[in-house]
Amino acid sequence: MFKTPSYIMLVDDEEDFVEMLSLRLKEIDENVIPVYSGEACLEKLKEQDVDVVILDVKMPGMDGIETLQEIKKQFPLLEVIMLTGHGTIEAAVQGMKLGAFDFLFKPADFDDLTAKLNQARQRKQDQMERIKKAEAAMLLRSAKI
Amino acid sequence: MSGDGDRNIIRVLLVDDEEDYRSVLHKRLSGRSISVVEAATGQAALDQLSVAPVDVVVMDVKMPGMDGVQTLKCIKDRYPELEVILLTGHANPQDGVEGIKMGAFDYLSKPIEIEQLVRKIRQADEKIVRARVEKEEAAFRERIKQQMVIAERLAALGTMATGVAHEINNPLAIIQESAGWLQQILGKPELRDIPRKADFEKALNRIGKAVHRARNITRQLLQAVHTQSTDLTEPVEMVAVDLQSLARESISLVEQEAQQKQIAIRLDIVEPLPVVWSEPYPLLQVLINLMTNAIHATGAGGTITLRLEGTDDRARITVLDTGCGISEEHLPRIFEPFFTTKGVGQGTGMGLYVSWGIIQKLGGTISVNSQVNQGSTFTITLPVKE
Repeated sequence: MFKTPSYIMLVDDEEDFVEMLSLRLKEIDENVIPVYSGEACLEKLKEQDVDVVILDVKMPGMDGIETLQEIKKQFPLLEVIMLTGHGTIEAAVQGMKLGAFDFLFKPADFDDLTAKLNQARQRKQDQMERIKKAEAAMLLRSAKI
Repeated sequence: MSGDGDRNIIRVLLVDDEEDYRSVLHKRLSGRSISVVEAATGQAALDQLSVAPVDVVVMDVKMPGMDGVQTLKCIKDRYPELEVILLTGHANPQDGVEGIKMGAFDYLSKPIEIEQLVRKIRQADEKIVRARVEKEEAAFRERIKQQMVIAERLAALGTMATGVAHEINNPLAIIQESAGWLQQILGKPELRDIPRKADFEKALNRIGKAVHRARNITRQLLQAVHTQSTDLTEPVEMVAVDLQSLARESISLVEQEAQQKQIAIRLDIVEPLPVVWSEPYPLLQVLINLMTNAIHATGAGGTITLRLEGTDDRARITVLDTGCGISEEHLPRIFEPFFTTKGVGQGTGMGLYVSWGIIQKLGGTISVNSQVNQGSTFTITLPVKE
């Protein structure tokens, strides 16, 4: 089956971290879009189709939770993985309640990260699949009428 | 009278060289909640005091050998909490004044009116009781103050340490991803035959391990502060906890390690045991921490006792070992974050700090008593279910 290219967005104010993690993900053939703030994340999402967002909780300006809320409002199908320190675990829990797919403690294990990434992507694809089928069923029904 | 139930009999030592006078006073004082012992000389009085303690001394000033004022001085030197009432000759009230300057409670001039003497003895006794209560209160206040100083110090250290942990986490993540990226690159087929590849891999492997170690420390630190934060948005989930089953669970988790070192673990339950109002999981973590420490501190053939009991309005858990003990210089610092006497990579120094934080959050107290080469005793008190 035809595989559409998948995009990951990495959001963290720590530029060196974003750069290094992007390089690692690219090394395993992921397409990564690095951004450095919650505001930039939302801006970029308007023009770029993305499957999974990896989002740091603690950022200056718009923090991870605010960004998550805005993402879920504007792009409800987008899956979000939160990155958190141990001290901000409450924020991670809150994030899950607000619709984040999962969270990881920072620094995260790369294998954990890729595993969660794949799960999140799978969920989004499954969801898209169901929507397509539903839309197709809807078209068929209206055609019959 | 003084409200001190166990001491309503006042013990009096009567010192006078005139035997008849002594026995008359003795007889008249007895039966008024006063018990009397006698001494004929100053020296005899001191000997008597070294054998059996009394509360109040009633003593003649004029005696052959060591006189009353000299004896008073010795008594006050050796037993500062004792009160002394001097009996002076009618013509020599200045002896009494001299005595008061040297620390006598008061003096009475002979001939003595017995009611007046009884009144004086009671007053002297009240003063003793009062002094004792004040001393106990002062000691109690001092203990509380010390605990608060330690608590403040630990809180300040915690705040600083977690600040550092947060700041360290980001660079740590960068180091981890950079090293991880290099590892990925080294694994590519086009780099299969590069020179000294094993050296690169070795170094990257060490970086990875070191990051892992540092990450464990920052995690424990942040977790420690997380457990003791009194954030109202996240209420503590207190439930009724059965201490006995919790204690048994903690023992079963450390039993194997103890057996390997030939250490016996005893569970000592003093019935009736109150039901504790607490959080079971963090409490279990504290017990395991203390037991593990005890195992590490104790040699083969030693014993660790886990005792559960109820006090007036608290539950008390004691972990007692027969191990190496904690030196006096280390004792005040053992609850500090990062304080450890174990070797590099052996202990993070977070165990007791985390335990302290948990017990604070649960509304309890944790304290330690230790003697080098005798063992250590950790005592936890916890609120009980009404």
